[in-house]
Amino acid sequence: MNNNNNHKKPLLSVKDLRTYFHTEDGIVKAVDGVSFEVYPGETLGIVGESGCGKSVTALSIMRLLDEKGEIAGGEIEFDNMNVLSIPENKMRKLRGNEMAMIFQEPMTALNPVYTVGDQIMEAILLHQDVNEKKARELAVDMLQRVGIPEPGKRVDEYPHELSGGMRQRAMIAMSLSCNPKLLFADEPTTALDVTIQAQILELMKELQNEYGMSIIMITHDLGVIAEVTDRVVVMYAGKVVEYADVNTLFKEPRHPYSWGLMNAIPRLDEEKEKLYNIPGIVPNPLDFPEGCRFSTRCPHATDKCKTEEPPLEEVGEKHFAACWHIDKLLEEIKRVREGESA
Amino acid sequence: MTEDKRTELKMGRDRSKPLLQVENLVKYFPVRAGVFRRVVDYVRAVDDVSFEIYPRETLGLVGESGCGKTTVGMTLLRLHETTSGRIIVEGKDTTYYFMPFFRARKYLKETYVNRFDDLKEKAGSTDSAIKSLENEFDKKMVRQYFEKHNGSGSDFMKEMLSKREDKRKAFRREAQFIFQDPYSSLNPRMRVKNIISEAAIIHKQATRKEALKKAADLLKTVGLSTEHMSRFPHEFSGGQRQRIGIARALVLNPDIIIADEAVSALDVSIQAQVLNILNDLQEQFGLTFLFIAHDLSVIRHVSDRIAVMYLGKIVELASKDELFAKPMHPYTVSLMSAIPIPDPEKKSKRIVLKGDVPSPINPPSGCRFHTRCPIAKEICSKEEPPLVEIEDGHKVACHFAGEMKR
Repeated sequence: MNNNNNHKKPLLSVKDLRTYFHTEDGIVKAVDGVSFEVYPGETLGIVGESGCGKSVTALSIMRLLDEKGEIAGGEIEFDNMNVLSIPENKMRKLRGNEMAMIFQEPMTALNPVYTVGDQIMEAILLHQDVNEKKARELAVDMLQRVGIPEPGKRVDEYPHELSGGMRQRAMIAMSLSCNPKLLFADEPTTALDVTIQAQILELMKELQNEYGMSIIMITHDLGVIAEVTDRVVVMYAGKVVEYADVNTLFKEPRHPYSWGLMNAIPRLDEEKEKLYNIPGIVPNPLDFPEGCRFSTRCPHATDKCKTEEPPLEEVGEKHFAACWHIDKLLEEIKRVREGESA
Repeated sequence: MTEDKRTELKMGRDRSKPLLQVENLVKYFPVRAGVFRRVVDYVRAVDDVSFEIYPRETLGLVGESGCGKTTVGMTLLRLHETTSGRIIVEGKDTTYYFMPFFRARKYLKETYVNRFDDLKEKAGSTDSAIKSLENEFDKKMVRQYFEKHNGSGSDFMKEMLSKREDKRKAFRREAQFIFQDPYSSLNPRMRVKNIISEAAIIHKQATRKEALKKAADLLKTVGLSTEHMSRFPHEFSGGQRQRIGIARALVLNPDIIIADEAVSALDVSIQAQVLNILNDLQEQFGLTFLFIAHDLSVIRHVSDRIAVMYLGKIVELASKDELFAKPMHPYTVSLMSAIPIPDPEKKSKRIVLKGDVPSPINPPSGCRFHTRCPIAKEICSKEEPPLVEIEDGHKVACHFAGEMKR
């Protein structure tokens, strides 16, 4: 949608964010030195497997961590404001108004004892100077825009009366009711069927064109990433391992994890004899390996990887990766791709 | 029978004869309401589904939530009783195995005895009665009925109903289930070794000692190590638990494994590991899979043939290559186009279906897909299209099959 970001100022800039959780068993470094920018009107994807810290990153930016969580370092700048130093009462004005969030499971994110209309109106009444009648009109209007049939009737229904796809639409209506600049979408389609997922992704694209907000799309699904995002952050065990625009990432991956992930998924558009095997499992967040955190599962790991942590370095234009052995990866990619075309 | 012999038997099976035949399977769940819990309606979860699975192949069953794919799997293993229809495994009717006695009697009487008697009366002689039947399995049964039992219904039923406990156990040895959720499908209070070996001991396939050794071997086969034997399920990650579930399903060396969303709860990299294991095991043990999933990409990767379900019906059934080269049913076409492809340069044009899946309590008249179908015409809401073979092995249930292109 917007690839010409060179001269623009980022809407959100996260620098070296560290979020730690203090648990009974020790400190969980869920997010450990994450940096990225989001430009106005673009969609940034954050991709990674469960426990890699992608959701915690979003919650940290919105300052929605529970009492065990603590932002231990870093800077978050949103719309020329330093998010980490804003007092809580001002933060509340920001949330829902300037930045909003939609969640994976709309049934648990919506309050079951209030009607859909009440919940949308709550956000409108909190952030906008309107009376209840006007707020209701706005809510109905919003429901119409997200494609809910008979919005005048649906506005008085409870979440359990709506289907999964309709609930997610209602969620989106709520989050967009105050026209936010930044929308976090945390696995918004994971709980939905594919035909409904197609509807929701389509809807989000349309709304982005209409409202011009930036979206941070958090997902584990590389298909969704390829479909809707402009730039992508790949996370592994609390770290950014690769950061690039979406075409570059899929064409020229420069981290063994991104490469492995792409080859591990079965594809609808092509036949694969055997899926790429990333051996082992994600390390325990209480006890991440030293050096590169992917070293325990990486086919190219050497002694250096196990002791020294690779920095996130520029490997191409606006393309960053954190790996000591990109040359080895390049060889592997070349070998595999030649094998495929042969 | 020893382990190797069983595997040998499975490997030697004629691949042109179906191992499992499902005929007109129907499963309705009653909807109860009111003070007296009266049955007010039915959820038509599976409504007249027929298919075959051949030895050592993988049949993929794909569809969205609520289409009845899991109910098909569960009913096949009689974790639900059938409402009607027939399930034939290895040339034996297994439908009545798990029914209560009088229901089983009634089933046999209606399905065979009354039908065959009528048939003979109409046709005049046994031979012409046999000839008038088209279904291979029915021919076999009718011979058994007239030649072995001289057309005596009570004799026939007596044999069929005898030793049902043994028949049930034999059936359980032949067919096993891998569940979706690796967290709730393992007993949290049992150690891994007992979880895996329990079935072998119950079915008297091995002594306790042998069963434990077998459990250890299977753990290695699925990529875990013997040191995990004495641990409890909570000490494992999701992917490892799914491997334990697979080892448990393998301990009786079954013919058929029904894998219900076996990888959908797993992370991408772990999903790949488990899919690869299932693939290797199929070759090693000569397994036949019914692989149930909502993810068409996964189905494509594992299956030889694919059945697409929508709202309790199979709408299309074909070999994998055929289905992907020439999808004929508008639902299959839309489903394929709805899946995002992990390649930003291949942004395909989407067919976005309108609306939600209708309720299986009150399915639409005629073709069940007509409310969402982009090419529906008048006839679609009136007449239900039958599942017919359009090309060799390619069955479609649509009045306008092949008219919608990607």
